[in-house]
This record gives sequence, C-alpha cells and structure tokens, in this order.
Amino acid sequence: MSDTLLARTPRPDRHPRWRISPATGLAIGVVLAAAAFGLRQLTAGADFTLPNAIQDLLTLSYSVLIESIGFVVLGILLSVMVQIWIPASWIVRVLPRNVVLRRAALSLLGVFLPVCECGNVPLARGLIVKGFSVPESMTFLVAAPILNPITIITTHQVFGFDDGILVARLLGGFAIANLIGWLFSRHPEPDRLLTDTFYAQCAAPDAARDHDHSASRWTQSRQLFAREASAVMPALIIGATIAGLVQVVIPRETLVALGSNPLWSVLALMALAFVISICSNIDAFFILPFVGIFMPGAIAAFLIFGPIIDIKMLAMMRTTLTTRTLIQLTTIVALMSLAIGLVMNYVG
Amino acid sequence: MSGSATRWQGLVLIAAVSASTLWLWMSGQLGLYVAPRHEAFVTIMAAIGLVASLLSAVAPAAHDHSAAAPRWNRLLAGTATGISAVVATTMLVLPPATLTSATATLRAINSTSQSSASAADVASAATSSTDAFSINDWASILRQTSDLAFYSDRNVTTIGFITADPEDPENMFYVSRFVITHCAIDAQAIGLPIYLENWGSTFEADQWIDVTGEFGTNRSRDSSQAIALLPDDITGIDQPTEPYLYA
Repeated sequence: MSDTLLARTPRPDRHPRWRISPATGLAIGVVLAAAAFGLRQLTAGADFTLPNAIQDLLTLSYSVLIESIGFVVLGILLSVMVQIWIPASWIVRVLPRNVVLRRAALSLLGVFLPVCECGNVPLARGLIVKGFSVPESMTFLVAAPILNPITIITTHQVFGFDDGILVARLLGGFAIANLIGWLFSRHPEPDRLLTDTFYAQCAAPDAARDHDHSASRWTQSRQLFAREASAVMPALIIGATIAGLVQVVIPRETLVALGSNPLWSVLALMALAFVISICSNIDAFFILPFVGIFMPGAIAAFLIFGPIIDIKMLAMMRTTLTTRTLIQLTTIVALMSLAIGLVMNYVG
Repeated sequence: MSGSATRWQGLVLIAAVSASTLWLWMSGQLGLYVAPRHEAFVTIMAAIGLVASLLSAVAPAAHDHSAAAPRWNRLLAGTATGISAVVATTMLVLPPATLTSATATLRAINSTSQSSASAADVASAATSSTDAFSINDWASILRQTSDLAFYSDRNVTTIGFITADPEDPENMFYVSRFVITHCAIDAQAIGLPIYLENWGSTFEADQWIDVTGEFGTNRSRDSSQAIALLPDDITGIDQPTEPYLYA
C-alpha cells in the first residue's frame, strides 16, 4: 500500500461470483464494441422522428456528454497515475510542518492531482488513512476540484478573464478551503467528524485495508480505471441529462427574469449547481449558455459552490463524514459562495 | 448494487459513449454536437477511452471491499445507473439529429449578436456590398437599424430552417440557424423574420429552405418586428451537411 493514497474499507474477503479469463474478457469486449458500431451504423439512417422537445433534450444531453467525455477519461487516467504510480511519500515529504502553511499547500495539491471531485473523495480518504488530520484532508477535498489544471484550463477556455469569473473561482475556492480547514481544526476531537465505519477502518492495521498488494501496478491501474469510471459516468450522464432538461423545459424569459436579479441570480445558479452535480472539469461548458443571461456573480457562485457541494458529492462524502459534519460544511460553503456572488454583483 | 455490476457499469458506459462519438466522427457528423475545433481532442480521447475500457475489462476482478452503503444511497445509485444505461443506449440507437425549432423558440431568436457586421459601415458602401452577407450578418444588422431606406435595393439570399414566429405564427416565420461556440448546449438561435401569409399551407416548421427577397415594412398586425423579409422566392432544400454555424 506504500505507493498509493487510496484507502479501502476492510471487510472479510469474498470471492468474485464468476471469473472470466483475460482472453475471453477481451474477446467479449471487442465483440461488444463491434456490435455497438454495427448497431450505430444500422440505426443511423432510420426514418424516425421524436417530438421536438424530446429530440432536443437528447441532442443537448449528447452534446454535453461528447464534449466532456474526453476530459473525464483524462481525469480518470490521471487519477490512476496519481493513486497507483506516484508514491504517497513524495506528497508527504514536500509539505510544510506549520499547520496553516500545510493546509494552504494541501489546498494547492490539486494542481498535481488533477482529478475532478469524484476522484478526490477516495484521495481524501486515503490522506486520512495515511495520517493526515481530518481538517487537512477536508481542505484538500474542497480545494482540489477547483484548483486543478483541467478545471482552470476549461474555465479559461470558456470565460478567459472576462468579468473576473476565473479569478473569483480560483481565489474563492482557495479561501473557502482554508476557512473550512481552519474552522474544523478548532474541533476538540476532529476524528468525531468521521463516520464510525470509516473511523474503524482508519484505526485498522495496514494489512487489513490493503487488498491488492499482490496485484501488479498494471492490474491495479485497470481495476482502478473500472472503479473510477463506475463512480463518475452515471453522475456525468445524469448531469448531462438534467442540463439538457433545464434547457428544454425552462423558457429563456424565466431564466432572464431570474438571472438579472443580483440576489436571485446567485441563488438560482447555486440551486442548479446542487441539483445537476456536474463535474468541475466541464461545468464551465455547461454554464456557458447562461452567460449574458445571469449576472457574473451568479456564474462565479455556480462555479465555486457546485464542485464542493452537490447531490453527488454529498452522497460520496457521506461514506466518510458524518451527516452533522456535512450539514455544517454545506452551510459554510453556501454562505461563502453566496457572499462572493453578491459582492461581485453589487460591487463589480 | 453488487460489486461485479459496479465493476462493469462504468466501463460499459464509457465504451458506449466513446463508440458513439467515434462513429459520429467517422461518419462526419460529430459537428452536430461539438464545434470543429474540439473534434480532434474529443475523438482522440474517445479512442483512448474505448481502448482503456476494453483493457480494464480484461483485468482480474478486484475484491469488493466497499462498505455497505445506506439503502437510500443504493436506491439513488441504482436509479442513476438505470437512467445512464437508457441514455447511453439511445445514443447508440437513435439517428443523429440537429437541434429543432423548439429550442430556437425557447432561446429567443436574435437574443444575442453573433456577427461583427456594422450598419454604419454598410450604409456608406454600395448596395452590392451586402450581396455576400450571411444570415448571421443580416441578423446583426437587423438588431442595429430598422430604417427602411437602409435596406432598399439590397438583395438577401440565405438558407436556414423554419421557426414559427411566436407573435404571429400563421403569417410569419424565421429562416433560422444555430450558432455554436463549444457544443450544442451553448447554441444561440439567429434568424431573419419573413412575412408570408398562411405559410403553413406550403411549408412546415423545421423545414430547410433557400430564400431570396428584400426587407420591407412588416405587414403583420401581431408582430412587434417593424420590418420583415418579403420573399421573392422560397425553395425547400435538404438539410445541409453542416447545419450549424460556428462562432
């Protein structure tokens, strides 16, 4: 386990229900891929029309999926590289010993661990298991989805430096992460922030949570790719579908009415971010059509709040942190995002 | 959800989306969903995603050590998987399609300007200077001036699909196009208002047309548009291979 940050929950080993040899698996995979291409070719010319609204919902959802699949695959591959191939000791060695500087450094760790929020939850769990304090790991968890190269590149690609949205996102993410880290470090017993199950796991000896030590890194990489894909893909597809649905169902006049109000525009986009649970690597593409309709502070609040708190992230973080902790975390992040959005709208 | 199902679902979903994306690229239809400047990245990463999914499928199954999730969490995950599977399947089964006039209406045609064409520059130039104007340029000019004198003797020729005018759907429609910046979700609708009494008896919404005419006083009583394109000729055409304009 020495070369990975990833933690696994201990549980009695059980054998897989069925086994497939590598050759059979590859053959099945190639046949299924060929079948997918064949099916696509066969149905492409079908004379089949759906009602306009449903057709547009699908077209819009597919476009988000196709636009983001590249970034998602890249994110998973980088996550695999970081978790399997880069020694944890490299990260631990370079961090300052002073707690404030240490948290500041941890909040910038995402620059070197460029995965979106889904990949950060297992990484943050790994950091706790490795002996980092809970507030330190939370600092990383909150900052990393925003302060990472892919998110910065896509946000810049969409907004450039217009309206200070990119700068607000980066500085806001950094400030909130360090505020969270500081606030929770005041907790008399930070370990109580953890769920009982995860606390027990952290207390377990290394061997109990180290289940793949016998597999080669190549095998572990492929297993991790599969696991990360299963965590990310359903959330991505649901996010893309809801993004399409919002576009098809809500008339532009409604959005314009909401978006031109300094307060309601911020609240509406924070609520949207919470519901759609879209990945931070591609959320800038999602929000692009709302630019010009919603005030810049609302866009910035969407881009700051969404990567940290949404339905998908709360479900994932609940594996590690107690409900009480998550309520406190959500409240602080929401208030900070709202404040940043309002300042931008009223002062900017 | 069982460990084995969890193991496969992500790989199957990546493979399905990747295969669909690669097929769109091979058939020259990826532009229906993303702007041309993103096509290379999207295609290369979809190919990598497909190969990585196949190679991961061959890896021996990892032992499932994940903690038992709460019931609501399992229910949420199961629902998400079900919806994802349906969406991914439709991506492989339904014919590729463009956005329709429904979205053009929802997004309010010409609510944003997508061209740098300037009415001030055009006014001082010969009327022939606007012969090569695109629908995008004309839509931009329309936002700038409704002075009829400006438009006299200027021929307009353009193609687009029909979107009924929300104010006078019986006698007015827009010849419209979508302008894409990154992908279809950021599509902005642009168009030129056309006055043609009872157009629904000859044409239908979403139909692609080639239209020639000149701008003149809008005779519609219900429309708020001061001027409209008065068509000399309208011909139904096939959807072009590149139905979108790209910003």
